[in-house]
Amino acid sequence: MVNEWLPVFIFMIIMSVVVFVILAGTAFIGPKRPNPVKLSPYECGVEPVGEPRTRFSIKFYMIAMLFIIFDLEVIFFYPWAVVFKRFLSGSSFILIEMLIFVGILLVGYVYAWKKGALEWQ
Amino acid sequence: MGLISLTTFFPVLGIVIILFISKKNLLAIKMVSIVFSFVPLVIASYMWLHYKYPMTGIDLESQFQFVEHFAWIPAFHIDYFVGLDGLSFPMFWLTTLLSFISLVASWNISKAQKGYFALFLLLETSMLGVFVSLDFFLFYVFWELMLLPMYFLIGIWGGPRREYAAIKFFLYTLAGSVLMLLVMLALYFNVKDPVTGSHTFNMLHMMHKSNQSAWLTTFDVRLWLYIALFIGFAIKVPIFPFHTWLPDAHVEAPTAVSVILAGILLKMGTYGLLRISYPIFPDIAKYTSYALAIFGVINILYGAFVAMAQKDLKKMVAYSSVSHMGFVLLGMAVFTTAGINGAVFQMFSHGLITAMLFLLVGVIYDRAHHREIAGFGGLGVRMPVYMGIASLAFFAAMGLPGMTGFIAEVMVFIGAFSVYRVLTIIAAFGIVITAAYMLWTMQRVFLGKLNPKYEHITDINGRELFTLIPLGALTIFFGIYPLPVLNMIKVPLNYLITLIH
Amino acid sequence: MDLIIPQINFSAIAPALTVMITAVVVLLIGLFFQKVQRELLAIVGIIGLIVSLGELGRMWGKDITGFGGMVGNDNFTIAFQMIFIIAAFLAALLSLNRIEDEYVSYGEFYGLLLFALSGIIVMVQGLNLLIVFLGLEILSISLYILTGFRKMRADSIEAALKYFLLGAFSTGFLLYGIALIYGTTGSFSFKGISSYVNANGFTNVLFVAGIILFLVGLAFKAAFVPFHQWTPDVYQGAPTPIAAFMSVGAKGAAFAVLIRLFVSVAAFSTREWTIAIWVLALLTMTIGNVVAIVQQNIKRMLAYSSIAHAGYILVGVLAGNEMGRSAVLFYLMAYTFMNLGAFGVVSYLGISHKVENLRIESYRGIGYKYPFAALAMAVFMFSLAGVPPTAGFIGKFYLFSAALKAGFVWLVILSVLNAVISAYYYLRVVVAMYMQEPEEGKVFELPAASWGVGLALLLAVLGVLYMGIFPSSLMQLFQKTAELISML
Repeated sequence: MVNEWLPVFIFMIIMSVVVFVILAGTAFIGPKRPNPVKLSPYECGVEPVGEPRTRFSIKFYMIAMLFIIFDLEVIFFYPWAVVFKRFLSGSSFILIEMLIFVGILLVGYVYAWKKGALEWQ
Repeated sequence: MGLISLTTFFPVLGIVIILFISKKNLLAIKMVSIVFSFVPLVIASYMWLHYKYPMTGIDLESQFQFVEHFAWIPAFHIDYFVGLDGLSFPMFWLTTLLSFISLVASWNISKAQKGYFALFLLLETSMLGVFVSLDFFLFYVFWELMLLPMYFLIGIWGGPRREYAAIKFFLYTLAGSVLMLLVMLALYFNVKDPVTGSHTFNMLHMMHKSNQSAWLTTFDVRLWLYIALFIGFAIKVPIFPFHTWLPDAHVEAPTAVSVILAGILLKMGTYGLLRISYPIFPDIAKYTSYALAIFGVINILYGAFVAMAQKDLKKMVAYSSVSHMGFVLLGMAVFTTAGINGAVFQMFSHGLITAMLFLLVGVIYDRAHHREIAGFGGLGVRMPVYMGIASLAFFAAMGLPGMTGFIAEVMVFIGAFSVYRVLTIIAAFGIVITAAYMLWTMQRVFLGKLNPKYEHITDINGRELFTLIPLGALTIFFGIYPLPVLNMIKVPLNYLITLIH
Repeated sequence: MDLIIPQINFSAIAPALTVMITAVVVLLIGLFFQKVQRELLAIVGIIGLIVSLGELGRMWGKDITGFGGMVGNDNFTIAFQMIFIIAAFLAALLSLNRIEDEYVSYGEFYGLLLFALSGIIVMVQGLNLLIVFLGLEILSISLYILTGFRKMRADSIEAALKYFLLGAFSTGFLLYGIALIYGTTGSFSFKGISSYVNANGFTNVLFVAGIILFLVGLAFKAAFVPFHQWTPDVYQGAPTPIAAFMSVGAKGAAFAVLIRLFVSVAAFSTREWTIAIWVLALLTMTIGNVVAIVQQNIKRMLAYSSIAHAGYILVGVLAGNEMGRSAVLFYLMAYTFMNLGAFGVVSYLGISHKVENLRIESYRGIGYKYPFAALAMAVFMFSLAGVPPTAGFIGKFYLFSAALKAGFVWLVILSVLNAVISAYYYLRVVVAMYMQEPEEGKVFELPAASWGVGLALLLAVLGVLYMGIFPSSLMQLFQKTAELISML
């Protein structure tokens, strides 16, 4: 049991050491000319500190939601693909099932498209 | 379909026809409803001619007449089981008579006539249903069904405080019927049909001790069930502490509805006690008889005293009903032949007399638009015919010889005297007080100086006479020759007494 | 490791599939033909409902199972499903009301209604907690959206948010309960739970906690006191036909699951559980009735009344005998007619001249102005109050008889008293309609009722009266189904 996981453990330690060495190295060696923009965690994107009630455009949510939904559905393809070949020899049921599933996804996609959820304007 | 079903459901046919008549066509609506309440009267009278007097009824199906019996809700062993015996027939006939007369008396209803007449016919069906049902569930359904038209009739066509009166009436009686429902269910689960061995709602099966479970034969259980059932019926009678809905309902109800309320509905309470409580719990009926007699005496005296204090003519008549129902209770409580026959005859007699009284109040209210006793005076000069009929009704209510009230009250007193001497003597004072307030009222309304306001008041008209004369004639007829009714009631009632003893 | 595809039997879920496919079709029609009449959408939906009723009829008596025993249809569950389909049918007709114009997109409306129904069907069919959960989620999510469908109105949005938050919360309870049950018994199926209880009883604390959490989750959906707080707000804010559907569908589905759980686990008839449900039933009906008395808004009044009715039905569940189960079915059927009818009248009278008529006072005098609607309302009110000769009376009678038969004398007495209390507030509506003068200076003009509303109300009135006067055939049918609960 322990032996099986030993390489992973060693790998984790090496990785930690490497990360530490690189970060420490840049901290000591690198030149420092700070300005406010450089000190912020990210240089582009959302302000890290500010009012919690900032308003986002609803479009972001729409896209995020659609992404999550379709992304989750796609996950179902993986286990299916793994066993696909073995079962196809018996009957084509497994293929038809997936086609139905894709069909349902397609209806959802058409619905989102037609409702204008994919348009930015 | 037998005669009973035909009589009971004939008014429903009238409702269907009325619903298809335009609400503008008042004459047609009124005529249809009158015709459809007259036909049941004719059928019921025909049934009287074919009534077989020696059959006892009460607890044997074979002793009932015009029986119809078939399954209605087999899952609960509920039957459509109707029949008549000497106890129910007089009330059955009286219902058809008073319904017809009340509908004639409703001629001047001025609002939403279509609904009024339809509901009135529904009321007739449900009342007839109560008197003919021999299945407890069927009885309960009709009993509750009666509430609906009554509630609307008081609430829509009533006086200024009609909402209050209607909802009070509904909630009081609903509370009573709920107790009845519980008793009914308790009986259902503890009574076996002797033939099939299943539970049953058949009242007649419930009356036989051999069908009852062991639980049902224990004294405490029987006492509590009896009391619950008693309260259910007592609210309807109404017996003293449960009576407060009655004056409100009467004062607000239109004339014809008051007639039905006092003439039929009040009798259902005592009818229920005789039909259901007594035969099912004869031992408890005997055990509690003294209490019932006391309730009766309280009703007699309390009703009479309160009636005397009334300023409103209709309220006076309403409380006189409370008083007169006390005689029924007293007669029922003693289990002597004379007493119980007197009680049932009083139910019949009071139905006729109180209907007259309420119709008379209605006549004068239509003319004067108020009912203050003090506001009249000397009307006898301008309304001689009215005064004549009113005197007849008032004397009948006082129990003057030659009229039905006398026979009933004398029978009750004879029957009661041998059992509860002191109570009977106290109750006899009720007669005196009744005479006092009746005479006093007559004096204030008809005698003395004519109130100048009523210089031009018109006498009673033909239609009103048409409603009053049959009742007056019957009061005198049965007062002189009561045998048709007494013969009918005595066989089952004597049998009932032997059951109790 | 070898994978075995479980035996899949699509015919076992044919009704649910039919409803779902219809929902998709309705959705797509609404999507591609923006100008289409909503009547057409409703008719397509109704055709789907009729087809699925036919499917259920075909499955009658066959005890079809599928998906490795995860779903099953005995007659008892088929009867439940039929009731819910009828409820959806009436709700679809009611939403044809001209004044409910503000929904904007009817394709989604009818689509979601059908999805909600399919969720209920799945939930009722489930022989497995996961399937039950799946159905419940389909149902709940559809209802969250439908509740907020009048999106221009603040109260609708508020209702949707409230319903969503509390619903999600209760789903958490339910799921946690399922997890604990699975953790202790190692099974999701009712059968597995049953055999676990038979072997071990209720000794394992974690298992008991799981069952309790599961019941709490269901109690939220069925709105038992003290889990009822969301009901009035949600019913008030939701479109009226949806509130009507929720009051029957969501509640009834919870009851179906509850009964299945109680039937499969016989040990629930032990004293502790009985007492708990006894108290729950009494609290539910009493608080529902008492609070309903003071309501001024008719939709809130009906919401509290529906809480009280859940209490009555719980009495039948508690009875635990065949009679109780068939009484629950009968009452649910009766309740479908009377409650959908009552909500239907409310929705018809709902708005006139952009003024809301939801206060009970605003019903004054309509008995003369709108005689048919008022008459129908009176019939529904009397039926809800339990006055003969209506379905409500026979239904209550049936439930209470069953409870008496099982020996719950005091509960029956208290329930009957509750019924009397309830008469007061139902009568208030009747009093307002027939016995009071209209409010001063109030113009009350309605457009003529559309055929859909008229048909729905007519069917509901006929249903209430038929079940009240000739209850026998339906009673016998339900009794047979309750005797033969074959699948656990």
